[in-house]
Amino acid sequence: MTANTRNSIVGTPVPLVDGIEKVTGKALYTADLDSRGAFVGRILRASVSHGRIIRVDVSKAESLDGVIAVITGQDCDKTYGVIPIAMNEYPMARDKIRYRGEPIAAVAAVDAQTAACALELINLEIEELPVCYTPAESRAPNAPLLHDNKPGNLEREVHHSFGDVVNGFASSDLICKETFNCAEINHAQMEPHAALAEYEPERDRLTLHSVTQVPFYVHLMLARCLDMDSSRIRVIKPFVGGGFGARTETLNFEIIAALLARKTGGKIIIHLSREETFLTHRGRPNTQVKLKLGMTKAGKITAVECEVVMNGGAYAGYGLVTILYAGALLQGIYDISNIKYDGYRVYTNQPPCGAMRGHGTVDVRHAFECMLDRMSRALNLDPFAVRHINLLQFPTFTSNGLMVNSYGLGECLDKVERASNWAKRKGKLSKGRGLGMACSHYVSGAAKPVHWTGEPHAVVSMKLDFDGSVTVLTGASDIGQGSTTIVALAAAEVMSIDLGRVRVVTNDSAITPKDNGSYSSRVTFMVGNAAIEAAKALREKLVIAAAELLDVPLDDVECENETFFVNGSSQSELLFQDVVIAALAKEGTITVKGTFSTPIEAQGGKHRGGAVGSTMGFSYAAQVVEVSVDDVTGQVTVEQVWAALDCGYAINPLAVEGQIEGSVWMGMGQGLCEETHYIDGLPAHANFTDYRFPTITESPPIDVQIVESIDPLGPFGAKEAGEGALSGFPPALVNAVADAIGMDVNFLPVTPDRVLEALIKFRRANRRAKKLEAMT
Amino acid sequence: MTEVLPVFQYVEPDTLAAAINALQADPTAMLCAGGTDLMVHLRKGLSEAGTVIHLDRIKDLNTLEYTKTGLRIGAGVSLAEIARNKVIAEHYSAIADAANCVAGPSHREVATLGGNLCLDTRCVYYNQSHWWRKSNNFCLKYRGDTCHVAPQGNRCRAAFSGELAPALIAHEAELEIAGPAGTRRVALNDFYREDGAAHLRLEHGEIVVAAFVPSNGASSIYRKIAVRGAIDFPLAGVAVACNKVNDATTFTIAITGTNSRPLLIDFDKKLATDTDVDSFFMSMEKQVQKSVSPQRTTTIAPHYRRLSAAALSVRLAKSLL
Repeated sequence: MTANTRNSIVGTPVPLVDGIEKVTGKALYTADLDSRGAFVGRILRASVSHGRIIRVDVSKAESLDGVIAVITGQDCDKTYGVIPIAMNEYPMARDKIRYRGEPIAAVAAVDAQTAACALELINLEIEELPVCYTPAESRAPNAPLLHDNKPGNLEREVHHSFGDVVNGFASSDLICKETFNCAEINHAQMEPHAALAEYEPERDRLTLHSVTQVPFYVHLMLARCLDMDSSRIRVIKPFVGGGFGARTETLNFEIIAALLARKTGGKIIIHLSREETFLTHRGRPNTQVKLKLGMTKAGKITAVECEVVMNGGAYAGYGLVTILYAGALLQGIYDISNIKYDGYRVYTNQPPCGAMRGHGTVDVRHAFECMLDRMSRALNLDPFAVRHINLLQFPTFTSNGLMVNSYGLGECLDKVERASNWAKRKGKLSKGRGLGMACSHYVSGAAKPVHWTGEPHAVVSMKLDFDGSVTVLTGASDIGQGSTTIVALAAAEVMSIDLGRVRVVTNDSAITPKDNGSYSSRVTFMVGNAAIEAAKALREKLVIAAAELLDVPLDDVECENETFFVNGSSQSELLFQDVVIAALAKEGTITVKGTFSTPIEAQGGKHRGGAVGSTMGFSYAAQVVEVSVDDVTGQVTVEQVWAALDCGYAINPLAVEGQIEGSVWMGMGQGLCEETHYIDGLPAHANFTDYRFPTITESPPIDVQIVESIDPLGPFGAKEAGEGALSGFPPALVNAVADAIGMDVNFLPVTPDRVLEALIKFRRANRRAKKLEAMT
Repeated sequence: MTEVLPVFQYVEPDTLAAAINALQADPTAMLCAGGTDLMVHLRKGLSEAGTVIHLDRIKDLNTLEYTKTGLRIGAGVSLAEIARNKVIAEHYSAIADAANCVAGPSHREVATLGGNLCLDTRCVYYNQSHWWRKSNNFCLKYRGDTCHVAPQGNRCRAAFSGELAPALIAHEAELEIAGPAGTRRVALNDFYREDGAAHLRLEHGEIVVAAFVPSNGASSIYRKIAVRGAIDFPLAGVAVACNKVNDATTFTIAITGTNSRPLLIDFDKKLATDTDVDSFFMSMEKQVQKSVSPQRTTTIAPHYRRLSAAALSVRLAKSLL
């Protein structure tokens, strides 16, 4: 679908169609929903990191006045998860506990006070087992096994080799090898987890309202874990206060709420505290990246060798996808064919990690862009020049089978280089100030779906009825990113109607078509295309009716601004309402459907795990970061950021700008100050005082530019815009710090204490080197 | 929030006497002004308050006056009001600086001087939920018998993190405290104890009424070491007051965040015209490094807090010259 040069509404900044509800407070989030008559659910969480459950005695809790039901691991013998081949987690632990905070039991009581008391009355007998908190501990020869079927505590090992890496290094003029350590982080989305479940015993029906990004997967898991027919289950997603991957998979409390609802025969509301939300986790794992790059003296990358070790936590979750993404997106951004990737996803006794904005690719991109900067310096080349030399020729398929049809990275580079005045200012800033740059990219949805059922990737339906309104029905999960607005805009644009005529109904499994959910930035590309198809089908029905009314061939009918007319003629204009009436007269209420499927060539390479990284198109970003560093306190201040993102086409430039700013900002959090911190497996960070994401005082001005490479297959030419710019920030920051104080750092986050410690070591090493020089 | 508040009686006395009576009537009663720390504390299950006594209505606590003898700030005056006050900004800048550094703007509108001076000590093993602390066998400060920070020791190492205290101490402030036996005055520096579990010399039944800060013409400044520019408690907070008497300059340095009490640094060297400036400040830095004893009460390494507190002290002192 190419960009329409006569676009009337897409391409203009439009406030999100549900913005009014959000800013006025009218929007109902899960915790706001009607919980009258609901029992309060609370979860009992494991106090040990690793143990065998000998006994769970709930008798005292059950007999407490006001307790309606208590459930334990015995109430659900089905594992759940998101990847069909990797589901090893129970909603409540059965034989083993594998992390502190893991759900063991749950109570439903008349109020929160009683529920809290009931938890204290549950008696546990646990045989403690030895623990592993780091990959090194987990992979040690006699390490305790977390999962009997996973020797070496490895969830997944990946070994990929493309091209000729040995020759690649042999033909290089410079080889560098470094190890980077990136701390584990959490999504820290504003809305804590919550679920409202209702079970009707008379009808054997379950309804769940939840904070999910993936209502469809939750629906499947509920059917599985409750051993219920999925036709008796209804999943509804209300407003969601942020996801970023925290809710990209079914979460234990959702199943627990459903189980409690069924056992009580009523309604259950579960609110998780912020601490419990942190314990549910599914964040970005602590990752160690060992990277070796070969480069010619002109700056061309000749070979890449990358080893990644991820501390994945106690359960499988998305783990195998994460470790595959880490290697896959070494490609798709620069012209590199010789790549060796080895990845290890390791189990530890900590809350399980999952998907987080940039899924798996961020820490590797960080290492890569830092290395490029250091090697550029060593070769006396400008980092922008080095990027330009390595740009891809497109259209192309990478050596790991990833499709590139549009590629605006060159333009992104030029835009930020110019906007930051890089050429004039680099190396000439005042003491303690520096400039750094980096590139990044991300997929517009995984081209191969999680469940290979043969169904289209996206289905959108539309309804037109007597009132002349167009209702778009979609399962696309708006989590704040604006997917609801995208489908409304697609309808309005293709049908040439006012946005006010369009309503969007979302995420009710009883009403809306299934959608896989909001993850890997698939929604704009896939649901957007499906919406366009549906709108075209609806438009065609109206054009047919109009053609009959005007008595002209179909091809002669034009529609603009809710008016149908004959091409080239100024007479015979038909109002929208009249055409609607005529169309309805034929068949009554009109319902249409649009679908989107990915072509086979987009679905990735044939090698094992080759589907991960496969996409219809990548977004590309370049950014420049300016910092000032206080070399006495180690404090790093981000003074300004310039970012440019190629999103194919900005269907809604207002939303795209917001996403770029958000991506940069979230990258800044990871770069500057975010990290989890466990003390013997207990989270020391599980609140917003101790888990430090930037406040407004740290937030710099972010200059945003949009590049439009017009993807031939994207909706109106669009690709994703929500993740591409994130992984460029941390390396641009580290490169800026190096420019400011002459010191490279290999850790994230770049907190003042680490900077100061590194500075002290760095200065000491320099003094020693100078002494040595002076002596010889 | 899921953490349930304990069931307590909520009273709003109109007078100090009534508040004191309410305290005496219930040994578990707690005082509440802005409540920005108390409410979090109660939700985390760190106290079982049978009564919460709200102090908002007591007029004696809410006045801020400046006379030629000095400044009187009522314990109920909000941090935002202190930060905005022009007299304080001009004559006692460290106090205005400190008030402006605490938490975020919404906290500062309701948080009070008294609440900040009496702020509970903090520790990564203590400021956690009930589930967390129970999983860790509680701690010496509350319901346990080991200090996880210093297991071989016999006292609580939680760190005092209030930011007004060092600023007021640097300005030689005194407190007025009301209690069942009447009113007493105490130097602010004598109000604290180096004991994370009992850091205030305040009996149950007593209420801090006001702080008096004498006029002594000192210039001053307060800054904090933190990862972020808002919300964070100080990893270390430094107040420096500078007095120039006959060509000799002396510095008063008070530090928060590193010990279980705010610390007045023992440094009485004079900077005169013939003093070697570099070695003067080097000895100041070393003295601060030696005096503070940050522990592993935060996730940030204590050594960083020591080094940065000392470096900041020197930087602030130099800025006052």
